[in-house]
Amino acid sequence: MVLLRSVPAPSEGVRHEQAETTAVLDGKGLGAGTLYVAETRLSWFDGSGMGFSLEYPTISLHAISRDLSTYPQEHLYVMVNAKLNDENEAEMQENAHDQEDEDNSSEEDDSEGITEIRFVPRDKAALESMFSAMCECQALHPDPDDEDSDGDFDGDEYDVEEAEHGQGDIPSFCTYEEGVSGLTAEGQATLQRLEGMLAQSVANTFHMAGVRTDDANGEFDDGMEVDAGSTMAGQFEDADADH
Amino acid sequence: MEVSHSIRERTIAENSLVILLQGLQGEVTTVDLRDESTARGRVVNVDAFMNVLYRDRRGRLSQLADLFITARNVRYVHIPDHVDIMETIQTQLTRIRRVRNFAGDKGGRKEYQKKKK
Repeated sequence: MVLLRSVPAPSEGVRHEQAETTAVLDGKGLGAGTLYVAETRLSWFDGSGMGFSLEYPTISLHAISRDLSTYPQEHLYVMVNAKLNDENEAEMQENAHDQEDEDNSSEEDDSEGITEIRFVPRDKAALESMFSAMCECQALHPDPDDEDSDGDFDGDEYDVEEAEHGQGDIPSFCTYEEGVSGLTAEGQATLQRLEGMLAQSVANTFHMAGVRTDDANGEFDDGMEVDAGSTMAGQFEDADADH
Repeated sequence: MEVSHSIRERTIAENSLVILLQGLQGEVTTVDLRDESTARGRVVNVDAFMNVLYRDRRGRLSQLADLFITARNVRYVHIPDHVDIMETIQTQLTRIRRVRNFAGDKGGRKEYQKKKK
């Protein structure tokens, strides 16, 4: 169901509300009303309560049009991937996936299964906010058919390399044993050496303005490491630290 | 060119070619849409276009200030010739990993941890 004529505008999650906005549906003006950009759907209603709502997954694109030669007023343009009939109930014509209706490209709009809507606010300065609000709400409705964005990426993230090599630096948390077992013999030797150095350096720990540094020769990839080797012994003697 | 704040989005980017499109931010590209229109403009963010010259399927040229195309309706993105694809991907991956290491529990400054007495 794409256009829900009897469903009222949502009262929650309204990111933007724009009064005095004319709606033009496929070239047909519907008069002045209020546009509601809500997280669940996009709605427009005139003074008498008549209007329509759109579900975000059906919106192919939206844009700000300031080109007066195309349309005489600046407005928010919305293209809906569904066709309206007279009763404002949309019929989803699946142009994608299964049927590529290539031969329809020369026909008129009516048979292409799209609807063009223009929202013309009286306050043109509001167009940017209207556009941004729609962008934000669209981001809340990712395409469920898109195989790249399915649940595989929640929790243990799927990584092709990890699957193939058994190793990966994707943030899937593992136990110490798992981590060690992923190392080669040389890697484990290195790990032991580093841990030995860490343990040894505990006694040499400095306090430096609250940031703990130690002699560990860690190859931390975080770019925030402090190179303790470059400090001189006693440089921070006045720091409040117990060694 | 910011990296997404969401771990899920970063991971998706790391594991798909979306990361290449994200590296195109600031570039002028042409996008072919599913309905065979084309749009050309400067990429602000993957999925939001800006300053687009939009040629719709009837061949009419119209200028749009801001254009947002949902991913589903993108058929092709024309990567500019001067963009080095591998380099762009590598740069984005580095950005993502840097964000993760800074924010995660393995990297970052060790303030307030295990105060030595």
